[in-house]
Amino acid sequence: SGAAWARGLLSWARPERWLASGSLFPLSCIHTSTSLQKIGKWEKKNRIVYPPQLPGEPRRPAEIYHCRREIKYSKDKMWYLAKLIKGMSIDQALAQLEFSDKKGAKVIKEVLLEAQEMAVRKHNVEFKSNLHIAESQTGRGRYVKRVRCHGKGMFGMMKISRCHYFVKLVEGPPPPPEPPRTGFEQAKEYVQQLRNRTLVHTL
Amino acid sequence: VLVLVRSPLPRLRALLQRCWGRLERGLWPGVFGDHSLPLGPAVAVQGPALVPQGINGSGGSSAEAPRLLDSIVWMAAPKQRRTIEVNRCRRRHPTKLIEIKRNIDVCPECGNLKQKHVLCGYCYAKVKEETRLVRMEIHKKEGGPFNAPAVETVVLYEGEKPTEKDEGKRIIERARKRPSWFVQN
Repeated sequence: SGAAWARGLLSWARPERWLASGSLFPLSCIHTSTSLQKIGKWEKKNRIVYPPQLPGEPRRPAEIYHCRREIKYSKDKMWYLAKLIKGMSIDQALAQLEFSDKKGAKVIKEVLLEAQEMAVRKHNVEFKSNLHIAESQTGRGRYVKRVRCHGKGMFGMMKISRCHYFVKLVEGPPPPPEPPRTGFEQAKEYVQQLRNRTLVHTL
Repeated sequence: VLVLVRSPLPRLRALLQRCWGRLERGLWPGVFGDHSLPLGPAVAVQGPALVPQGINGSGGSSAEAPRLLDSIVWMAAPKQRRTIEVNRCRRRHPTKLIEIKRNIDVCPECGNLKQKHVLCGYCYAKVKEETRLVRMEIHKKEGGPFNAPAVETVVLYEGEKPTEKDEGKRIIERARKRPSWFVQN
């Protein structure tokens, strides 16, 4: 690795490259992008650009993807909050989170406000209240194992867990909730299944 | 997951071996709940060689351990791993989900959200801040602890004169306009 490093250094310090660029430090060798941090898939979803819509098509609602990584909270506990706000309008979600006693509620509220701000500034959303939460998910962050001391010299290993939180806001009023399945509907489906039966391997 | 690891402390090891010896010899009948029979090996064989040793622990009694486990019920432990489907049914049961609160309203004073049975957080913070400044003025006037006078206090803002009702009361001046929510007498 020492030889490779020396070769790299010498390749950077080639005199013909200096004469060609005219400056002492050839800029093509320097990394300009922050390639050390991998950009996650959720962040990349904001970069897709659709082709312009035809005049007759219905207007495509704006979609805003936002996330926060490595939150110091458990993904299972965060999931309950994510499940709470799924499908709500953004105002209702913010109200529920404001009066929730959980630690993750404060974090999710910040994420939603950031996403709302992003929507208004960058994603051409007209009314900041006209957003609803289409998807809200949690993911597992990096865990770290640590020693937890018990009495009498015993110890156990505990894991310090972190989580990610992902949210997708879509413009428009929230979709109406699905009506619960009635017994009549279930009975109808059963009768339909019976009627769909046919004889196989026959004439 | 809790993994108890035996640390190499000689005193601890000796203590554990003494406890184990006592268990086997039936000198600790209270440990396993109500068993009328005292503890003892399941198989009794004549001979001095099988008498278990005490503190020196000659061979951690590997022969005695299975006999002891056969004769009595050990601690409760799960028999099978709970599958993720079973775990999900328990964790996602409607009783475990967070209920949505239906007692959230808008505060008529400031327009922030508030719960119906709780004071508005913003208005409370506003009042708290003003009270803190009034208390600072009082502290400046008194100059130290235990100097509170035995009369009432009246807070007056800019451009206000003490009325005849305020005679004999201590007056605290605040250098700002009277806030709308602080109603004068």
